Amino acid sequence: MADAERNASLLRKNDKQKTIQKTVRRGRSSSGNSGTDYCKSDKMNAVVVDSGAFTIKAGHSSRDNPTIIPNCIMKAKSERKRLFIGNQISECRDCSGLYYLLPCERGYITKWDVQKPVWDYTFSKNVCPINDYPVILTQPLFNFKLIQDCMDEIFFEEYEASSMLRLNPTDMARLKYNEDHNLTDDTPVLIIDTGFSFTHVIPYIKGNKYLKGIKRLNVGGKLLTNHLKDIISYRQYNVMEETYVINQVKEDTCYVAEDVKAELKLAEKYGKKNNIVKNYVLPDFNNIRRGYIQDPDKVDEGAENCQILRLNNERFLVPEILFHPSDIGMKSMGIAEAIVKSIFLCPLEYQRALARHILIIGGNCKFPGFKERLFKELRSLLPHLWHVNIYQPEDPILYTWQSGSALLSYPNIKSLLVSKKEYDELGSALIQQRFNHWNNSIVVENEEGKTPSQPSPLEEFSLMNNLKGKSVFGKHDIGTSSSETTTMTPTPTSSRILINLSEILQEAASEPGKEVVGAPGTQSAAAAFAEIVEKNAIITTASAAALASGAAVLPNDNENTNEQTDQDGITAKKIRLRDRSTSQDFPLVPPQEEDPFENLVLFPFGRNSYI
Amino acid sequence: MTISKSTLRGSNRIKENDKRRVVDETSRKRRQRKVMELLESDNYHDDPHADLVMSKKVPKFEDNLEQRTTRTKKKERTADYYQNKFRKNFQQLVEEDRNEAEENNRVSYMDIKCEESTLPPRHFCAVCGFLGQYNCLSCGTRFCSIRCMDTHMETRCLKWAA
Repeated sequence: MADAERNASLLRKNDKQKTIQKTVRRGRSSSGNSGTDYCKSDKMNAVVVDSGAFTIKAGHSSRDNPTIIPNCIMKAKSERKRLFIGNQISECRDCSGLYYLLPCERGYITKWDVQKPVWDYTFSKNVCPINDYPVILTQPLFNFKLIQDCMDEIFFEEYEASSMLRLNPTDMARLKYNEDHNLTDDTPVLIIDTGFSFTHVIPYIKGNKYLKGIKRLNVGGKLLTNHLKDIISYRQYNVMEETYVINQVKEDTCYVAEDVKAELKLAEKYGKKNNIVKNYVLPDFNNIRRGYIQDPDKVDEGAENCQILRLNNERFLVPEILFHPSDIGMKSMGIAEAIVKSIFLCPLEYQRALARHILIIGGNCKFPGFKERLFKELRSLLPHLWHVNIYQPEDPILYTWQSGSALLSYPNIKSLLVSKKEYDELGSALIQQRFNHWNNSIVVENEEGKTPSQPSPLEEFSLMNNLKGKSVFGKHDIGTSSSETTTMTPTPTSSRILINLSEILQEAASEPGKEVVGAPGTQSAAAAFAEIVEKNAIITTASAAALASGAAVLPNDNENTNEQTDQDGITAKKIRLRDRSTSQDFPLVPPQEEDPFENLVLFPFGRNSYI
Repeated sequence: MTISKSTLRGSNRIKENDKRRVVDETSRKRRQRKVMELLESDNYHDDPHADLVMSKKVPKFEDNLEQRTTRTKKKERTADYYQNKFRKNFQQLVEEDRNEAEENNRVSYMDIKCEESTLPPRHFCAVCGFLGQYNCLSCGTRFCSIRCMDTHMETRCLKWAA
């Protein structure tokens, strides 16, 4: 089924590409090549640059595929008189012991004396000239101000771009995903961008990033290559200097195991039974330009005098770091856990839809088995009634660049571009605001702007009911008067009830999204309460248990609200039938980590006592 | 036949162990941090051109600028200009960003980092890569068998380093 879907989407894509090319031709012929007239044609053309930390994907939007340029300057041992910038490395005869000058540090450009020459090379006449076309440039998430300043300055003043749009790569990718799958613009999409420096999990709600739900995992291709280098150097040859070669080894041999323990058992076996172990012939840059996996059945004459790497469990344990960074002692959750966490940080009504539309892009997706493993983990971590769909594009590295054409057909594109004139008049700071507002902070504003009007009196009433219910339980267990518990205003005198209330409020604010997130007042109140809770050390175990029981009831209510909002085709009746069982598994997924009473949920008052 | 008291009794293994230094928690953490930093490094070796004296014949970056297709030639700045103007290391950038984010109450780079996993860590043998259930008494590194232990003791054990 998935194949059929992919084929269909491919067909659609092809069609689209054709139409794009047609319009391009039309646009050209009508407006000539003068460049300033591009606005008149119905389809805009631009130079799309996906400037990643490892490779720059640059090209004119009318082309099918971009030029891929390594974003680095390399120094070779053999040729001492020159530097290799970007693609020039193909002219290098001996790539052993390449010394890299990388412009990015953890994904953010810090070494401009390296980045500038690489960009100079990229936009030179023979590679990808800008020629008055608008420039669409990608930048990492939360790009620092200073870096943005410098990018603007280089592009407007140095390259004299007529107009420019800086945006996150995932902003573009989402547009293409929506276009390819015929989705409306406000469909929630979860994008996982796993690249050279890091892995980002970004939920898009109503076409905007939901900032609170974004997660970054500091594991990328660079770390994986370095780790592989490290373990090979320890176990076999010293290859610490051979980043270039080991990166190829990684790309050629590594894969993601579906079940690590089973795979390990297989890797332990000797002889023919072990189909994991592979011999990799290292290049000598004399006869062999690029390393390859040796065929075990054939006698390889060329490799007789070559060095051979024997790769066994390294093949799947290296990409495994993406799923379990703790394997190398990194204190961070894996990619699947981060996705689940990200989904549950989003407003409740969008959570289901996010799990339905998961898009994975970036170089690490190219490990065979990556998608299957991710699906397997997500399937077991997310509620069983949810549909989980993961879409991996044909080329996850170029997907962002290819989505440039989707961006250019975006209706508002012209208003998003900033022209050189505006840059000269307004300066970089104001332009940054403009760039960053699109797809970004709007989300938060939207959420806060729309929600106060949204919760109807009825909903608020039901929330009050919930709260009353909780405090009644609290009262029974702690033995405080019930009249106080119904008051919503914080009075720091009755601290125990405050704790009680604040807990519930926190719980409520974080959990049932739709009803509560609404009133910013409640949220801030909850935050204020939380502070008090932190300061207060008089939480008795009894009250803690009571709170826990209060918290235990809440998820059930959530399930009910979920039922009401759910219009995904599964009838409410069906869910109600399973209500008991789902409410049992539901809270197992931790909604909020910092809840100190979470572990108490099961003891001593099981939630069944209140159902 | 006289035998000195020290060689008379007791297991050699225990004597060996007594001599061995146990690396404390802080230096174990320090080593871990070092490993993580190394995993982010660009190169492990020195610049092969470091000892090279640049003569005028060596092509410089600026040579490429001629090929560029800008309309005017007035503002052509060297790469060093940008490096000097925007000289700030990553730590400074993060710090600045965090301060600004706190003022404006927005989500920043630091906030979106993944928290620690709720799942227990798995342990792999540092020598061969398979599951390792034992750890080194001195430095806490994992290994799976006596063979791997011996290799570890001879090579990477922290009793030598740190």
